[in-house]
Amino acid sequence: MDFTGKTIVLAGAGGIGAATAELLASLGARMILLDVVEEKMKEVLSTLEGEGHTCYVCDFSVVESIEPLLAQIIKEQGPVDGYVHTTGIGAVRPLKMSKYDFMLRVMNINFFSFVEVVRCLTKKGSFNAGMNIVGISAVGAFIGNSTKTAYCASKSAMNSAVRCLAKELAPKGIRLNTVAPGATDTPMAKEATDYRDGTDEQKINAMRQYLGTCQPEDIADAVAFLLSDLSRMVTGTCMPVDGGKLTS
Amino acid sequence: MTNEEKIAMLEDVLELDGGTLKPETELSSIEEYDSMAKLSLIVMMDDEFGKKLTGEQIFKFKTVKDILDFME
Repeated sequence: MDFTGKTIVLAGAGGIGAATAELLASLGARMILLDVVEEKMKEVLSTLEGEGHTCYVCDFSVVESIEPLLAQIIKEQGPVDGYVHTTGIGAVRPLKMSKYDFMLRVMNINFFSFVEVVRCLTKKGSFNAGMNIVGISAVGAFIGNSTKTAYCASKSAMNSAVRCLAKELAPKGIRLNTVAPGATDTPMAKEATDYRDGTDEQKINAMRQYLGTCQPEDIADAVAFLLSDLSRMVTGTCMPVDGGKLTS
Repeated sequence: MTNEEKIAMLEDVLELDGGTLKPETELSSIEEYDSMAKLSLIVMMDDEFGKKLTGEQIFKFKTVKDILDFME
């Protein structure tokens, strides 16, 4: 895979985002990072191979702020070749504590911001021919998880949106897909599960993912494949990278 | 917030009848104090008290009073 000469926007500089940025940069891409925490992006930028990488602060919980920011990015950096949406919050809450404002916040960050970025980046003049988009979903979108209604619903919404948008944007030559990671060794996952350490639920979950816990690099590999021409006939679908969890 | 108000809040989160909990009540004696209740406690501390409660801290709670003290 070779992304030389390609400009890729990547949202989220966490575990999966950082690993994906590093891989894509090592394959020649120029990376534009978006995250609400500038220090985190600068840390990732310092690890990237190649030149011309940059970052912009973006608060994905304020969906209205995305359009003007992307207009500025296109003006300063030119049209882009790819977009990867890794930003998201784990959001573990029992139903009785999941009020509307909480649900809306999760949907804003995990889903509405994704659609908004796709809307803005697929306007004429914002993208180059062969534009590719990948969103990070979750196996929870298929199997659900106790206390993760908002999170799983947001990831299911992303999968459904990608199925629709792939059809709508195909005439423009744009492909869209999602990757659904199983349990992955990231700071977000650790935060979401540490109160359950040693419980039966956690042990059963671990057993179902019989190839073991994914590393962020495993997810990055799938994203790179979906952004590349190797997957030129793949669109509107979700690729699980889950150590066997969905089929166990 | 008084101790009585905090206990009422805790009883609500644990879905217990009012008057069930006392400061000296041992958490291990409460059937409803399971992983779901602990998660609810994390959310309540964050929403109502602006405090970050970790899994490690939760495991250190032995009595209702330990939780009340954390609510300060």
